[in-house]
Amino acid sequence: MNTKLKVSEISKIYPGCIANDKVSLEFGSGKIYALLGENGAGKSTLVKILSGVVKPDKGEVFLNDESIKLNSPLDAKKNNIGMVFQHFNLFETLSVFENLSIDSDKKDEDIRLLVNDILQKYNFKIDLDIPVLNLSAGQKQKVEIIRCLIRNPKVLIMDEPTSVLTEQETDDLFISLKQFSKDGILIIYITHKLKEVLSLCDEVAVMRKGKVVSVSNTIDEKIESLANKMVGENLNTIKKKINNFKNSQEILKITNLNFKSDDPYETNLNNLNLSLKKGECLGIAGISGNGQNELFQILSGEIITEGTSIMFRNKEIGKLNPRERREYLMAFSPEDRISQAAVPELKIYENVALNNFKSSNFFEKGLVNEKKIKEHSKKILSNFSVNTNNVELKSQFLSGGNLQKLIIGRELITSPELLVCFNPTWGLDVGAINYIHETLIQINEQGKSSILISTDNDELLKLSDRICVIYKGKLSKIMNADTVTAEKLGILMGGGSID
Amino acid sequence: MEVQLIKIEKRSDVSRSIYFLTPVLAIFLTLFGGGIIFYILGFNPIEALKFFFITPISDLYGLSELLVKATPLCLIAIGLSFCFKSNNWNIGAEGQLIFGGIVGGGVALLFYNHDGFYVLPIIILSGAIGGMLFAIIPAILKTYFNTNEILVSLMLVYVAKLLLDYLVVGPWSNPEGFNFPETRQFSESARMPILFDGLRIHAGIFITLITVFLSWLILYKTYLGFQIKVSGLSLKTAKYAGYKGKIMIIIVFMISGACAGLAGVGEITGPIGQLHRNISPDYGFTAIIVAFLGRLNPVGIIFASLIVALTYLGAETAQIFLQVPKYTGQVFQGMILFFLLGSDYLLFFKIKFLGLKKNEL
Repeated sequence: MNTKLKVSEISKIYPGCIANDKVSLEFGSGKIYALLGENGAGKSTLVKILSGVVKPDKGEVFLNDESIKLNSPLDAKKNNIGMVFQHFNLFETLSVFENLSIDSDKKDEDIRLLVNDILQKYNFKIDLDIPVLNLSAGQKQKVEIIRCLIRNPKVLIMDEPTSVLTEQETDDLFISLKQFSKDGILIIYITHKLKEVLSLCDEVAVMRKGKVVSVSNTIDEKIESLANKMVGENLNTIKKKINNFKNSQEILKITNLNFKSDDPYETNLNNLNLSLKKGECLGIAGISGNGQNELFQILSGEIITEGTSIMFRNKEIGKLNPRERREYLMAFSPEDRISQAAVPELKIYENVALNNFKSSNFFEKGLVNEKKIKEHSKKILSNFSVNTNNVELKSQFLSGGNLQKLIIGRELITSPELLVCFNPTWGLDVGAINYIHETLIQINEQGKSSILISTDNDELLKLSDRICVIYKGKLSKIMNADTVTAEKLGILMGGGSID
Repeated sequence: MEVQLIKIEKRSDVSRSIYFLTPVLAIFLTLFGGGIIFYILGFNPIEALKFFFITPISDLYGLSELLVKATPLCLIAIGLSFCFKSNNWNIGAEGQLIFGGIVGGGVALLFYNHDGFYVLPIIILSGAIGGMLFAIIPAILKTYFNTNEILVSLMLVYVAKLLLDYLVVGPWSNPEGFNFPETRQFSESARMPILFDGLRIHAGIFITLITVFLSWLILYKTYLGFQIKVSGLSLKTAKYAGYKGKIMIIIVFMISGACAGLAGVGEITGPIGQLHRNISPDYGFTAIIVAFLGRLNPVGIIFASLIVALTYLGAETAQIFLQVPKYTGQVFQGMILFFLLGSDYLLFFKIKFLGLKKNEL
């Protein structure tokens, strides 16, 4: 039973972003394929197209040389394409067996026989009659896999399957996947974890910005080479003059900071230590999902920690919320500019009012001072060359670049001592990227500090004075930017170590 | 070849006119749907709708009754708009109304043989506080114990109802009342002043209007209102801006509970004049429809409360003239909500008629 799956010239365009740009790939049974890429590279869109959740704007999918239409998840099932999503789709209060039989037309007894066969064949140990909520994450995933297996899949797609698994569960999963592959099931494995690609997969396709940038055999690849392909290796020659801050005053110090999350989809942070001097830019590199989100929230005060763990200008700020931290002259530009840094339904001046200082008097005695906010907003629009002067415009009508200029402008116009930004140029066009980069260099020149958390290595090497890498919630040694190369970052981002 | 006649497209922006026109569309669809129901029941639909929506307000008494019903609906809905705007789903206004009624009524009974200008304000205030305290329960449970406010607030309605039942049957029942499940009549100075002789419309309407104005002020002109708006649109942004989410949840529940409590006390000191089992014909639940029909906007809510109040009156006239059960009123209220939710689809999507192309056939 040979299965061939081919996607041909698939394109999917969302407003403001090309999720898939003429993606063509071929897969054949007997091998495990990795689809590797950063968040937003387009791999989830491609997978959603294969599983019928999303319809492509252009392009075709061929199964065994026959063009197939995937208009709904049901079509994917009919074509024997099985899919295990990162977030499980199980009814927690129903039993394992009920979850397996709920969408099947077969008789219960037949399903039970089938399931027992599968359990035996792959050596899964799961009690079929207990509620799903009593299972561990790994067991729940097995239930999802069995749900696919009872339909005799030709293709099995796994989306970031190890994000909630323990090491042992991961090992077990890999053994099972290799077994499925031997049994003739074509396996597509979506991940951004480089080590897993090398230990599990036979072929790897790397996606970046909606395009397939490379297809190769994993034997020919190393962690560094894959990392570079993922984040882009074309180093920009324009670089900030790196300064030596030996004599500068220390502005921020984090000591032994730990964060443990209750949410299994979040990353725990272990024993973070860093310090930042006046006028310095500290770059934090890493493949997304290694704790950047959590680190940003800890810096911004969305996650509150022990007071003593973060010192800013000699004050303990760990327990302060974002608004209180702003009063101490910190500013924040989060990754999600569309729905976190700004509210699309709000007008520009209302979005400006989100950054509220006591001294800016936006709200005097609890009342909105619309005139003041609008004046202030006009200043931001002109100082940061946002492409409109209408403060009544809803921010959803701003392009990504203009919205980011508005946000950075809002954060900087109050002259903060420290700006923390997270992927500030994600998804922007070249013009806007250059503008933001120039602005970030400028604030350092004015003696203000910045922390740049980014998954774009070019950007980090261009803007940082010192760089470190975050991997699985741990920070690497902090290095001077002039000693850092893309190769070194690649090794550290993949979990390797350098001297 | 598949031919598409109609294409549904997502709108890039919600137009403001459509935002306020869809409630009107919903009302027309309700009239149309109601007409069909009356037709199936064997009535002339035009006649029946006339009995339902025109006859009740064709004289002064009817108009006064309309305002009597709209007064509590508007007040509760305004309070609820604070909760709903900030994504807090307070479904238990009925319970907060009853509890406000219990507390206010208790104070009124305490003063049953007192006279004085101070009696009524004390009763009103205690009613508002009663509703407020009752609404704090789901708020505290939500903020500190992660419970679902929909369930808690809803279930507390039955707690309040049973408590009222117990009080009017047991300890608070009228000693001269022949064991009827009701309390004493409140004293004259515990009653809302009547505005016109012979009509039931009372001073509670001013409380409602003042509350509407204050709410508009708070929602659109204050920092608190701004925070409520931002949290309703994006909790992530509210967190990023550093708003104190927990305190805000408690505040909106307090406002909403106080409004419901005021409505309750307005009913018992206004048209009812004592406590008994049925001090509210589900005003607290119906106000949810009013709040959404009015688009959570203070002015919109005033209009919506009048329209929904009319369904209460219409049901009564329809019962008299057409011999249909008065629960028809609830059918109409249900239809309004149903059509409103349905037409909200038009807010986010537009329908394009493509027509047939000959070469495709």
